[in-house]
Amino acid sequence: MRIASFGGLVIGVIWCAVTLAAQQKTAVPNISGAWERYGAALGQPTADAQRRDGTFPPRATPPPLRPEPMKIYQARLKAIQEANAKGTPIATGYVQCLGDGMPAMMQAMFPIEFLQSPGQVTVIEEAFNQVRRIKLDQPQKSFGDVEPGFFGHAVGHWEGDTLIVDTIGIKESIQYQNVPHSAQLRVREKIHLVAPDILWDEITMEDPVMLEKPWTVYYAYRRMPNYTLLEYICEDNREFADKEGIQQIHVGGAPVK
Amino acid sequence: MKKLLETAAILLAAGAPVLAHHSFAMYDHTRTVTLKGEVTKFQWTNPHAYLDVDVRQKDGTTKHYSIEMTSINMMTRLGWRSNMIKAGDRVSVTLAPLLNGEPAGLMLDVTLPDGRKLEPGVPAVQTFKRTPPEEQQ
Repeated sequence: MRIASFGGLVIGVIWCAVTLAAQQKTAVPNISGAWERYGAALGQPTADAQRRDGTFPPRATPPPLRPEPMKIYQARLKAIQEANAKGTPIATGYVQCLGDGMPAMMQAMFPIEFLQSPGQVTVIEEAFNQVRRIKLDQPQKSFGDVEPGFFGHAVGHWEGDTLIVDTIGIKESIQYQNVPHSAQLRVREKIHLVAPDILWDEITMEDPVMLEKPWTVYYAYRRMPNYTLLEYICEDNREFADKEGIQQIHVGGAPVK
Repeated sequence: MKKLLETAAILLAAGAPVLAHHSFAMYDHTRTVTLKGEVTKFQWTNPHAYLDVDVRQKDGTTKHYSIEMTSINMMTRLGWRSNMIKAGDRVSVTLAPLLNGEPAGLMLDVTLPDGRKLEPGVPAVQTFKRTPPEEQQ
């Protein structure tokens, strides 16, 4: 009788362990599908309502740049402001059909899509058809082994319900909100649901050359259950950057190819 | 009635703040011009759509205007379709003129031949001061 009870206990413990393991395994949330930037559009709860229910992310703080890059950054912002005031805006990458790159694409100017597949989470930004691949459960490379690009080399893993992502290898010309960065920029992200249909991306930029300390910004997204991302091809663009880098427009039609 | 509702939905949605895309600083924010003319082309493309319109001048000549709109993805989400305007349509366009004086502008709204008034969803559209038609030069 005592042996039987002991056997039952053992079976119970094993059953509990298996169940717990299964639960932990299934703790990875389903984030696949289309999402829109949350907190900025009509038909969405007000910022106050979002703050009350905990879905409104903290506001961004200014970039903690070191003195020299801070001067460059402030001069850049001033130049942009002055050019706009004169009606001669400085051409952004968009004018030249270039997408945001990382981490600016996570601003979700247009809807974004997450796709979860074995070994990879893919992020697609509708604007400029930007695609970002996050390889799961792989070691990060060293800076010297990654060719600089728009989206960098991203690896990630799930810690409970949070997708932890590490990205390096972002081209120095690909800036987030005009903040200068070096080749040593590392972008760490924590992507997790804060409500069944609200996702946050906590983005921390580390750059020992440019930043005095890590800089964290947040973006929130709301699920778009019935939305399919549209195609986006930059085609017959009448906008262009002139020799001075000023945005101009071809009047009279698209440029002849 | 259905058309009216569609138009209302588009106008309502167009009031939604959207994230800045390209700069529209090259357009005059202090006045608008209303053009009535014949469409020669509706270019349904990204990053922006364009409407080309021929406008008959008082001296009998025709002036060609290039009118910039927003991204067709934004416009599609607001209810626009590529076949809503075609060459030959007579339209009325409210635009913010290009500051350098060339015959071009940014479309704030367009009235179609059937009377529907549509907006392409220009970000921060409220920053463009509208000039009443009777005060326009």
